[in-house]
Amino acid sequence: MAQYPVHTINRRRAIRLITAGVGAPFVIRLAGAQPALPEQANVPDILKGSGEVRIANYGGATAEAQLKAWFEPFEKATGIKVRTFPTADTAKAKAMVETGNLEWDLVNLGRGDILKLMKVGDYFESIDYSLIDDGLGKEYRFGFGVEMNTFAQVMAYRTDAFKGAVPASWGDFWDTNRFPGDRAMYGIGAGGPPEIEFALMAAGVPADKLYPLDIEKALASYDKIRKSVAKWWTTGAQPPQMLSDREIVMTTVWNGRMSALQEQGVPAAICWNQGLLKRDAWGILKGAKNKANAMKLLAYSTMPIPQARFAMLIPYGNTNEGANEYIPPQRLAMLPSAPENKKQLVFSNVEWWIENRDIVQAKFNKWLLG
Amino acid sequence: MSVPIMTPPSAPGYKRNVVIDWNNARTRAIPWLLASPLLVYMAVVYAMPVVAMLLRSLNDPSWSLDHYAALAGDAVFLKVFWITLGTSLAVTFGCVVLAYPVALALSRARSTAPLILMVILLPFWTSVLVRSYAWMVLLGRHGVINEALLALGLIDQPLKLLNTTMATQIAMIHILLPYMILPIANALRQIDPSLPRAAWGLGATPWGTFRQVIFPLSMPGVAAGMLLVFVLALGFYITPAMVGSSSDITLSMLIAQEVEQLNWGYAGTLSAVLLALALAMIGIGQLVPGVSNALRTTKS
Repeated sequence: MAQYPVHTINRRRAIRLITAGVGAPFVIRLAGAQPALPEQANVPDILKGSGEVRIANYGGATAEAQLKAWFEPFEKATGIKVRTFPTADTAKAKAMVETGNLEWDLVNLGRGDILKLMKVGDYFESIDYSLIDDGLGKEYRFGFGVEMNTFAQVMAYRTDAFKGAVPASWGDFWDTNRFPGDRAMYGIGAGGPPEIEFALMAAGVPADKLYPLDIEKALASYDKIRKSVAKWWTTGAQPPQMLSDREIVMTTVWNGRMSALQEQGVPAAICWNQGLLKRDAWGILKGAKNKANAMKLLAYSTMPIPQARFAMLIPYGNTNEGANEYIPPQRLAMLPSAPENKKQLVFSNVEWWIENRDIVQAKFNKWLLG
Repeated sequence: MSVPIMTPPSAPGYKRNVVIDWNNARTRAIPWLLASPLLVYMAVVYAMPVVAMLLRSLNDPSWSLDHYAALAGDAVFLKVFWITLGTSLAVTFGCVVLAYPVALALSRARSTAPLILMVILLPFWTSVLVRSYAWMVLLGRHGVINEALLALGLIDQPLKLLNTTMATQIAMIHILLPYMILPIANALRQIDPSLPRAAWGLGATPWGTFRQVIFPLSMPGVAAGMLLVFVLALGFYITPAMVGSSSDITLSMLIAQEVEQLNWGYAGTLSAVLLALALAMIGIGQLVPGVSNALRTTKS
């Protein structure tokens, strides 16, 4: 089995669930040989303090990167102790606030999770933007949370499969004459909503006119590719595995999964064009005991240098553009936040999805089983 | 010769009756006392979450049977329900066919029995995820089986073995086989050896002895194994996701999806269906004579 390492860039709940208790076969590692990380020499006095902050994240490689990029230097610079719990979970966050038994202050979720909970109750503290660095993109700010890193759901393909032809859009992904071979796309599981946006762009909908998504049109578009989709993947580890095994020639994938594959020398590449830019977010639990410290850590983690450190430790993007100048160009090119990659990506509309996910999911499930 | 350790009759505290009196309320409490740590543990880590989940299916967001009513009209649920049931049945029967000869060999073996048991149990200690990956390696388009067949010139195009329903069933049978072999072997071992000898003495052929004596007497073990395998197969998630086709969607995948969408009420309802299915099977199993006994005496 040692020939088939599985890279747990452990960023989705699904993977966390599956790897729980079966950690042994996993090779967890951070990307590449690491150049020296930039150091945040000093922090504004307003971020200093005492006591502690309790943080819930998803564990795995992401937590490791957060620890090195943010938590360790934060402790040293501010005097605030950081305690982490690798068990972030919307259900637990909800239950803690409801019972008043708060074991965490700051929690790593998605904007959708936070907005969805705020729709049914008052679960998160509002963000004090006076502490936040100006460089943090406006699009990553919202009332009850801050998005601190990005990742992309993109197309990836084997570079040895098409005699030099390079797929550049979802239209190409759908074009089985120019790009023959089996594909994989995301199906049913706990890895987010179906890839409706991709089906629509393949059908010619321009990237800036996607939302509100036209489901019927998307399913009609999916009909055209269905026969070539050899696998509807469930967990993030599958697409790179299938590319590496030559089971498929093209797939949709989370960008973080690809760098490990490329490092192994598998001839595969990412097509950033028309990919979806997704984000992780910090939320502060309502009534958190260390609310002020949580706010300080949140602010620290979105400063340029801490942002650069994180993006150099794991191939996820930064949300503060000021970080780009601290990241070596070669590394930056791998990130969804690199200006030339980011401008090709579509900003996933979380607000639309939380309103419509249930109905879209039901229609997609039915289509997939039909 | 062993010296009986016994208090002399004259010593204080001597009790004439050394047989435990199970009619005495105090002695009857002993097994319960011994089992209480486990019972408390199960109540906290198992029963409470199950009850919480069942409650959620009834009271999220408010008290009603709406989630259960929704099941009947949910075409996706109905389809996935039948897929899950069908896969579990196919895997159960596949396991019986493959496990019986192995169990027979295991029950007959003397010096090689530990070795056979090792071979059966060794994959048992490897995680399901790893074993599912192993099947991907074997069945893939450029996997071991296809490469071997191509090299031998038996085929000239790789066969589609991976990402098929057959792959799901092969991998699940492999994972669940020990649960079938052990109860059957145990039932076979408990058959009084004088019975087949008597059949032989009365002129039965070896095949006749097997068909009329050994096979019927092993049925409780077969039924117990089927019960275990079927109930375990109902909850599979990783294996169908890894090696199965797009139509190998199991109830657990639907549940995972509902949980992710924060539809805990409906997720709880789907889980309740899975639980009811498992309990129903165990109930049916109890009706087969000897099954509960076979389950109770199954050693692994």
